[in-house]
Amino acid sequence: MSATSDTFDLHPYRPERVAVEVPDTALDPELRARLHECTVAIIGCGGLGSNVAEMLARSGVGRLTLVDFDTVDERNLNRQFFFRDQIGMPKVIALAENLQRIRSDVRLDLVQDRVTPENLVGLVRGACAIVEAVDEAGVKAMIVNTCLAELPDIPLVTASGLAGYGSTNAIVTERMADGLYVVGDLTSDVRDGHPLFASRVMAAAAAQAHAVVRVLLGYREP
Amino acid sequence: MRVDVVLFAHFSGFQPDGKGGRHARAFEFEEGTTIADVIAMLGLPDEPRVIFVNSTHAPEEQELRDGDRLAIFPPVAGG
Repeated sequence: MSATSDTFDLHPYRPERVAVEVPDTALDPELRARLHECTVAIIGCGGLGSNVAEMLARSGVGRLTLVDFDTVDERNLNRQFFFRDQIGMPKVIALAENLQRIRSDVRLDLVQDRVTPENLVGLVRGACAIVEAVDEAGVKAMIVNTCLAELPDIPLVTASGLAGYGSTNAIVTERMADGLYVVGDLTSDVRDGHPLFASRVMAAAAAQAHAVVRVLLGYREP
Repeated sequence: MRVDVVLFAHFSGFQPDGKGGRHARAFEFEEGTTIADVIAMLGLPDEPRVIFVNSTHAPEEQELRDGDRLAIFPPVAGG
């Protein structure tokens, strides 16, 4: 091989160089078991919730309760974990289909309904953690207020401020109160005309999912 | 009685000093003042909000006590 071809390697991908398998037992078996025993309730399966569900399934969470009233729309495909052939399907059904393609053993409870102050507690009681992943500010506040008042012992991860094209560095995770973790920049609001970008929505979803994983593993701070 | 008040996000612009920011401001209130009284005094808009006193969720009708730290957080839309 000439010096030139060594310097200008036009085919850098060499399977023999990357064949070292990352073992799925990288996580301590006890911690894996802890995640597997947990149920996480995800309220809203849109830009945040569908991506949070994917990441929690890949992380080994054993059981997910998925709540969403809506169906998959073509406009969702720019940021939500759905595919073109799922347009028109209930989101919870489409998401269940996708999650089971990743992990056939993930246990799923599907609820195609709107959350209300009356049904919320019944939907999420018994979960190890709750993810608020809806889009309307009023519904977000209702979920946070209801869960903190009625189920103060279940950690809740909410999101506020993920719209627009501001830096993802502005998206932070903080423990705002006992049992409440807030992800986002707290200010960027779709009602102000900010669009929703896949990259920024997924950054917030990843932060939510990771906050859940940390809480389930016993960490108090996000 | 003295109460520290923290206002998050765009609510912080309603602090009487007009300087914004999420740091706490100290207020002197009469005994029996409720969270709803403070919301009215600050002129906060009637928008969705979450309220904490000393890091615990609190209803608006709750009376404040000397030394309390009141925090009010307005979730914004998008998801």
